Amino acid sequence: MRQLAAGNKPEPSASIVVVEKLVKRFGHFTALSDVNLSVAAGEKIVLCGPSGSGKSTLIRCINHIERHDGGRIVVDGVELTDRMTDVNSIRREVGMVFQSFNLFPHLSIVENCMLAPMKVRGLSRPEAQERAIGLLRKVRIHDQADKYPGQLSGGQQQRVAIARALCMQPKIMLFDEPTSALDPEMVKEVLDTMVELAKDGMTMVCVTHEMGFAREIADRVVFMDRGAIVEEADPETFFRAPRTERAKDFLGQIIH
Amino acid sequence: MNSLDFSIVFQALPYLWSGLLFSLALTAVAFVVGLVLGTCLALVQHFEVPVIGRLVRGYVALMRSIPLILVLFWFFFLVPIVLGHLGGNGRPVPIGATWTAFITFGLFEAAYYSEIIRVGLRAVNRGQFEACQALALSTFDTYRSVILPQVLRVASPIILSQTIILFQDTSLVYVLSLTDLLGAASKLAQLNGRLVEMYLVIAVVYLAISSAASQCVASLRKRYAIAGMRR
Repeated sequence: MRQLAAGNKPEPSASIVVVEKLVKRFGHFTALSDVNLSVAAGEKIVLCGPSGSGKSTLIRCINHIERHDGGRIVVDGVELTDRMTDVNSIRREVGMVFQSFNLFPHLSIVENCMLAPMKVRGLSRPEAQERAIGLLRKVRIHDQADKYPGQLSGGQQQRVAIARALCMQPKIMLFDEPTSALDPEMVKEVLDTMVELAKDGMTMVCVTHEMGFAREIADRVVFMDRGAIVEEADPETFFRAPRTERAKDFLGQIIH
Repeated sequence: MNSLDFSIVFQALPYLWSGLLFSLALTAVAFVVGLVLGTCLALVQHFEVPVIGRLVRGYVALMRSIPLILVLFWFFFLVPIVLGHLGGNGRPVPIGATWTAFITFGLFEAAYYSEIIRVGLRAVNRGQFEACQALALSTFDTYRSVILPQVLRVASPIILSQTIILFQDTSLVYVLSLTDLLGAASKLAQLNGRLVEMYLVIAVVYLAISSAASQCVASLRKRYAIAGMRR
C-alpha cells in the first residue's frame, strides 16, 4: 500500500480506512453509488445527511455488517472480501456503537464487556475483567458493573456499549446515530464520553446529527445525500458556508 | 356400587412405582434427546442449509401431523424390516419394545422442540446478531453465548408445557406392551375390578407430578430471572 511503501515510518495522515467506488444495492434500490472516502489514523469524521442518504449503510459496510456489491474497502491494510478470515480480522480492529445499544440482556454489564475479549482475543477471565472494569470506569459506569442492561437508563446503556466496543482495543470506532434513541437529557452524557474518546486520539467515524459535537471534535464533515457523498469540508466551513444547495437545505432543517 | 376401597392401591404400590419410574425415565430421555436434537434441527432450518434445511422442514412437518401412537407402530414394525434389508439377508431385525419407545419418543419430541426453538430464534432482535458480528464473535460463540441462552429463557414456559404433554403421552407405550404408570394401574384395575380407586389415585399422581414440574420451573425462572429482561 502507498503509505507503507512511502518510508520507514507511516505518514501521520496514513489512511486507516480506504473506501473506493463503493456500491451497495438493496434489491433494485441503490443505497450507495461510487462512494469514495478515506480516513486517516486519528481522524474524526462526522457523516451527516437526510435519512435514507446511505450514511449508516456506509459505516455498516466498513465492518461487513452489510455486504458491499462493488468497489473496495481496505481497513488497516486488509481488503474486505467475503472470506471470513478477512472479515473477522477487520472486525477485531473496528468497534461499533449502535443506535439501539444492542447490549446482551442476559449478561451483566461487566460480562457484556468481557465476552468478546475472552472469546475473540483469548484473554483469561481475570484479564478480561480487569480490562472491562477499567473501561467501565473510563465511561463512569463501573459502579453498575454487576447490574443488567435492563436496569440501566438509555444513556448508561449506550456508555456501556461504548466501553464494550473499547474492550476489544479497536483502532477505529464507528458510531451509528448513537444518540438518536436517547431521551434528550441523556444525550450529553454520551456525547461527553465520545468527546473524551476523540481527545484520546481514537479514529472515529460518526453518523450523527449532533452538530455541536461535530463542531467540537470533527476534523471533517462528510455530507451525504441519495447514496453519494455530496460535500466534504472542515466543520467551520461546512456550517458557515455550505457549497451545495442540498447541504444548505439539510442544515436549514436541522438547525432551528 | 360398593364403597371405595383403597387398600388394593397400597398393595399394588411396588408395581405402580415401577410403572412410574419407566414413565419418568422415558420422559427424561425423550426430553434430553428431543431438546438437543430439536435445537440442532431448528438451527439447520434457521441457517437455511441447502437441501438439508428442506429435508428437516419436511421431517418436522411429518412428525407434527401424525399421531405419536402411529409413529410408535411404524417404528416398531417398519424399522426392523428396513434394518433387515440394509443388513442384506432381508430378515427383520427386531429392536425391541423398550428401544422402540425411547428412540421414537426422542425423535418425535425433537420435532416439537425444534418448532419452539425455531420460533424463539426468530424472536431474537436482529441487533443482537449485529452486535456479535461487530465484536467479531464466531458463529458458534454467537449462538452458544448470546442467542441460545436468550431463546431458552424466553421459550422455557412453552418447553415446560411440551414436556408435561410428553410425560402424559408416555402412557401410549401400552401399544408396545410396555408398562408405564397408567399401564400398570390399568392392568391392576382390571385384574381386581377396582377401576375407580385405581384411576382416581393415578389421576392424583399425574396431577401432582405435573404441578410439581410447573412449580419447579417457575422457581428456577425466578431464581435465574434477570432484572429488566423481558420474560
